[in-house]
Amino acid sequence: MKKVLTALLAAGALVTLAACGGNSDDGGSGSSNEKVTLKFQSLAFQKTTVAATKKIVADWNAANPNIQVEYVQGSWDSVHDQLVTQFQGGTAPDIIHDESADITGFINQGYLADLSPYLSQETKDAVSQGVWDTVSKDGKVYAAPTLLQSYVVFANSAALKSAGITATGDSLSWDDLAADAKKLTAGGKYGLGWGLKSPTATMLNLGANFDAKFFDGSGKDAKATIGDAELEVPKRIHAMAYDDKSIDPTSLTLSGTDVLPGFYAGKYGMVVAGNYVAQQILQEAPKTFQWEVLPPLKGTSTKQAANPQTLSVPAEGKHIEQSAKFIDYYMKAENLAAVGQGDWLIPTTQAARDAVLKATGGKNGWQQILASGAELTKAPFQSVENYPQWKDQIATPAFQQYLANKTDAAALGKKLSDGWGQVNN
Amino acid sequence: MTATLTAPAPVKNKGGKPKANREAILLFLPALLPVLILSVYPLIRGIALGFTDARAGLHVETNFVGFDNFGKLVQNHLFWDSFRIGVIWTLSVTILQFVAALGLALLLNANLRFRGVARTLALIPWAMPPVVVAIMWRLLLHPTNGPVNEVLQKLNLTDHPINFLGDFSTALPAVIVVGIWVGMPMTTITLLAGLQGIDRTLYEAAAVDGASTWSQFWNITLPQLRTVIVAITSLDMIWNFNSFGLVYVLTAGGPGGKTMLPMLFAYNEAFRYGNFGMAAAMGDVMVVIIIGFLFFYLRNRLRSEA
Amino acid sequence: MRTRSGVRALQYIAVICYLVFLGFPLLWLISSSLKSPQEFASITPSLLPKHFDLSNYTDALNEQGLVRGLSNSLQISIYSTILVLIVALPVSYALARFRSRLRPLTNGWILVSQVFPVILIVIPLFMILRPLHLTNTIPGVVIVYMVWSLPFALWMLQGYVAAVPRELEEAASVDGAGRIRTIVSIVMPLLRPGLIATAMFTFISAWNEFFFALVLLQDPQLKTLPLVLARFVGAEGQVQFGPLAAASVLATVPSLVFFAFLQRRLTSGLLSGAVKG
Repeated sequence: MKKVLTALLAAGALVTLAACGGNSDDGGSGSSNEKVTLKFQSLAFQKTTVAATKKIVADWNAANPNIQVEYVQGSWDSVHDQLVTQFQGGTAPDIIHDESADITGFINQGYLADLSPYLSQETKDAVSQGVWDTVSKDGKVYAAPTLLQSYVVFANSAALKSAGITATGDSLSWDDLAADAKKLTAGGKYGLGWGLKSPTATMLNLGANFDAKFFDGSGKDAKATIGDAELEVPKRIHAMAYDDKSIDPTSLTLSGTDVLPGFYAGKYGMVVAGNYVAQQILQEAPKTFQWEVLPPLKGTSTKQAANPQTLSVPAEGKHIEQSAKFIDYYMKAENLAAVGQGDWLIPTTQAARDAVLKATGGKNGWQQILASGAELTKAPFQSVENYPQWKDQIATPAFQQYLANKTDAAALGKKLSDGWGQVNN
Repeated sequence: MTATLTAPAPVKNKGGKPKANREAILLFLPALLPVLILSVYPLIRGIALGFTDARAGLHVETNFVGFDNFGKLVQNHLFWDSFRIGVIWTLSVTILQFVAALGLALLLNANLRFRGVARTLALIPWAMPPVVVAIMWRLLLHPTNGPVNEVLQKLNLTDHPINFLGDFSTALPAVIVVGIWVGMPMTTITLLAGLQGIDRTLYEAAAVDGASTWSQFWNITLPQLRTVIVAITSLDMIWNFNSFGLVYVLTAGGPGGKTMLPMLFAYNEAFRYGNFGMAAAMGDVMVVIIIGFLFFYLRNRLRSEA
Repeated sequence: MRTRSGVRALQYIAVICYLVFLGFPLLWLISSSLKSPQEFASITPSLLPKHFDLSNYTDALNEQGLVRGLSNSLQISIYSTILVLIVALPVSYALARFRSRLRPLTNGWILVSQVFPVILIVIPLFMILRPLHLTNTIPGVVIVYMVWSLPFALWMLQGYVAAVPRELEEAASVDGAGRIRTIVSIVMPLLRPGLIATAMFTFISAWNEFFFALVLLQDPQLKTLPLVLARFVGAEGQVQFGPLAAASVLATVPSLVFFAFLQRRLTSGLLSGAVKG
């Protein structure tokens, strides 16, 4: 007991000391320039990306003795809960790594700082307007978009060959996808495995292929518009699964990465997934497994909704200007290229994409993946305030029921639009 | 100190009541301050939150809105749907878990060989971090490369792999099985501790009277375990009703909302949509309903008689 | 005699069935942690890895802070377990033995604190800890865990105390022993199984706790094991399963050792002796 108490007291004393030590930095030890330490919470996932991010931080720290950045490892799984609490408690990190879909709520709640006065013109010019739009509201910019993902078709090269399919050209139409899947379906094997356990993001992002809007207007006044365009992607997937029987219906209930073992084993000729899955395929597919990325899917266009990863600064942060400087540095082509390559994601700037293309030689599907990144842009649902609630409570269950063949397309459409009325009041 | 605490009269003596109260307060003292500051106060804040329109946001004003949230909640059929699922989940997990754990505790209390090893191994689910438990079970139940489907197919129990967690008819039963698995050690070890506390002489006397094992179980074990059984099942019930982390990782409430537990629903309301006030109101409703339910179960225990 | 050995055999079979159900996932976890990514993703799973591959373990151990996290978690769990036992024993004794007005209040608090969603408590809790300089410190987390494991400890322990025959204490009181001495020398030994079960519970809930730690600890040096493990889980269901499995095996071992050590002390057997003597 005594020991514990002493230990607790000692620990308490140490912490107090540490806190005092921290304060003396702010007080200034006589130097004219204010020295600050910024906490950068990074969500880098793959080993290579963690290393690349740490290198960026180290390089920056070496060049900027007065603005030191401390790397803090966060995780995608818990970042949202953590940020909600930290914003409420006023202890958010100085530089926040997240993604645009997740920060939309934080923007509406006023937690994030407007970075437009601080970011350099160079950074602003490097990223396309369509991507800036995903992190902006009312002319203010709340984050720097760093990396993008798109949905692409991965294919088993040997299976394509034996079915006599050659995928060339700039794009792959949905009709061709269905036809190819049919050709690849035989003898207990399915043409396509598609992990749609969480279907909403895929449906809405790929919906942009057919100009699906889902919403009209923004904020609280938005109206749900569910018409033919919006139901096109679900209908096509449903038809492949239940009319053509070229999609394994079981795969529709799995997550994007859970379908991969079946893909390696030849059970599925193709899978549709986020492009980052390439990293996992490279890591765990049998050495003999030959795979490729098909050209971007095309409906009326090859557009997909962009949901970039982001770097933001809290509105109540004490060092917004310095944090923005670090973000500028992070956005430099060679840095973005390094982190993008590690996590197998598409950098938001053309210069960085070129750097990745050069570094990888376009191999392992990089060429197609980078090509798909050029057409990513903001979709209407991204500025709808109650979208997350509609997504969880209405859209996800409705899509899941439809994909399990429990309802028809008309009922799906009705649920999606009636559900909006329920959650947005 | 000890001198003042000396109580020659038995405690149940009514004449000693003020003194007993003072003693009780002394015994409470070490717990009081931390509990008041770090639990009672935040709880009161949390409960009160349900009567406000608190929302996430910087410099957002919070107003008292009376019973508005509850009025809205009554009409929110999604919430009540999830409530129904929560009740099914809670009762199934608690009851099945109790029966299984009692069986295991009796076995581990028997004079078997290697029972030390068995006791330790029986606690495995407890030792595994929750994140891992959920991911682990997703792999075990995986339709393409999970061992469960592999075994079922080898035994010809099914001709095609089943995605237990993704199929509309199997998702809730599957998460219930995982729920039982996770909570088994806790319940088992509590019951085992209770069994250990039973006076052996009771059994010896019964054996002399020629009572069968069954009647010993029925007439000695169960009555002697009563307080422990009531305590652990009521806690299990509360915890199961409250749990959501496990199911969140397993199914995220899907497919089609079949495993959307009420706590998951409230969690989304607070953390994903930022409606703290509404979420707290859901919490209040759950507190009232669960405590109302438990009241009948715990009548004797809650009454202030020792 | 024959039926008795038959019963014995059935008992052993039943124990084995239980252990398979409860233990198989750990076996699978260990086996997975030894598989290469290729074998892990294979469509024909096997319990024994074809090639033992230790790279998951080296990856996990190279991960920043895994060892550090183990030691932080160990400290936090042990301190909060000891604190809970010290605080809970007198209170639960008072709850079981006195008809004080505090009793219904405490039981009410226990129930409400377990029912009300903890996630909604986190923010007010955070606001209290900050001016006390207890956020981002190990003592802060220890106290929070102590307070939040206490309801369980009290609820269970008063059940166990109630089962201790009152005559024993009365005898001690007649002998002139003070209340504290009665608790320490008479009640505590009889409560041993209950105290051990409570200690195990407190230890493991602190060991596994995620959300409070996530919110309260920001310094990378202070992160607990579950926070380090979460790092292997990525967006959209991506999981680096190999290193996660290896790290989890490493995380599971200390608790199992702790259990093995404690469960041996679970047997009481004192009770009958005390009454007889």
